Order: sequence, then structure tokens, then C-alpha cells
Amino acid sequence: MSDEKERAELLAALHAAGAASDEDETELRALLEADPSLEKIVKDFQDSIAALASSFDPLETPPKTFAQIQKKIARERGGFFSRLRSWFSKP
Amino acid sequence: MAEARPTDPVDLVAAMAADESGAPLKEFYTLYASTVLALLMKMLGSRAEAEEILQDVFVELWRRAPQYDSSRGGVIAWVVTVARSRALDALRARSRRHGNDQLQFFSERHGIRTDGGRPDVLVSSTRWHQALRQAFQRLSEDQRSVLELSYFLGMSHGQIAETLNLPVGTVKSRILAGMRELRTMLPIIHRSMVA
Repeated sequence: MSDEKERAELLAALHAAGAASDEDETELRALLEADPSLEKIVKDFQDSIAALASSFDPLETPPKTFAQIQKKIARERGGFFSRLRSWFSKP
Repeated sequence: MAEARPTDPVDLVAAMAADESGAPLKEFYTLYASTVLALLMKMLGSRAEAEEILQDVFVELWRRAPQYDSSRGGVIAWVVTVARSRALDALRARSRRHGNDQLQFFSERHGIRTDGGRPDVLVSSTRWHQALRQAFQRLSEDQRSVLELSYFLGMSHGQIAETLNLPVGTVKSRILAGMRELRTMLPIIHRSMVA
């Protein structure tokens, strides 16, 4: 493995684990811009840590929670976030 | 008769971004809410707080759905990233309110049982969860502790080094080794997803 790829792997691991400093993040972004193929390393680490985070036994959610989420979303519709969301939806 | 196939999570996010009726959001919520709640409980240790933040997480996922990019990570990675971020915000707010340090929270949360401690609230644990937990046993205690501090408490490598009284280089090496070990589980994850 090249030095650059080893460095990218370390930075990607720190990034995915949530332990990267601001300097690490800046360096990782620069490496990814220079070599987009390194994105695969980041994606694999992120999927791996996500598996860790989703490995706990699922908990039953309260019956009213989804209705409360719908209410919050209804309040947002027509507001700033709705317009922002529509903007991002445009091709 | 062919069995109904579950919607592909990526398609579901796209549908959630395009649809205002709420049906895709309901399906998305059904698919991930129990997992998100378990993660929030792990991080916060408070059922009431976890349930409150669960709402915020799904509102944020709905809001961000148009920006989701599958080339940058799977749907579950996106979901837990948002959930983790909201949980860390809550931990920091709690820390500011009570003046507690992060390590104290960590110690408190070590007492949380996620595998049968609250049978009244557990939904069925799937083979997927069991396989993942078995795979995580491959991590050494050293690797697990640095990943716990970084991922579940949001500590930087510098903060972890200070907390554990270790050189920064050692902390980075342990994180990298732990992440490499986790990466070996990807085939298990992919098999579970298509099963």
C-alpha cells in the first residue's frame, strides 16, 4: 500500500470513528479530491461503524412517536426548511 | 404466489424525498426507528430523552432526504450518523447544564444493559444483530474502548489520549486496528442485507 493510501486509511478510520481533528478532516478532504478512488475506503469504514451502531437489540418505540414526528413535519411545511428541501430536490 | 419484497432502502429515501403524503416516511420509520432508539439509549442512558430525540432524528432525516447520496455510504450509515450527531448534541447540552464531564457519562453508560436488561421494551433481536455482536467480539478490549470513546462520546483522538493517559499515536493505531477489524465484518453485513 502506498504511503498516501495508508495515510488516507488512517484518516478515514479516524473520520468514521468520529475521532478526527479539524486538521485531519481537512487533510482527508484534500486526499479525496486528489484521488476519488479513496472514497471507497471511507465508505467501507462508515458502513462498518454504522453496523456497530446498529447492533444493539432494537427497542420498541412508543405508539405516539410517529404521530408526533408527523406533527413536527407538518409545522415545518411551508416554512424555511420546506423551501430549502424543495431546492435540493431540483435536478 | 411471490412474496412481497421489502423496498430497497435507497429507493425508500428517494421516495421520502419526493413524496409529501407521508407513506414512505412511515415505512422508513418502521424500518429504522427501533434501531435508532436502541442507539440513542446506548448513548444517552435515558429512555425519556432518547424517545424525545428519536422524533428530532426522523424529522431531520425527512428534511435531509433530498441530499442523501448513496455513493457516500449506505442508508443505515446515514441514519446512524444523524442519530449519533443529535445524541452528541444532547450529551454536550447535558454536560453544560450539569457540569459533568464526558468520562463520567461514559462510566454511567457502561452500566446500561442492551441485551435483555429490559425485556418489556425489547423487540425481537434478529440473527443480524446476533451475528454483528459475535463479530464485534473480535475487537480487543483496547480497540473497543477507544471506539466507544470516539464514536459514542464524540471524543477526538487527543481527548482520548488525555483520558486514557496514552500517546496520541497509540490511540490512532488502536482506532485504525479496530476499524480494520470492523471492516472485515462487511461481508456478514452484506449477506444479512440480501438474506
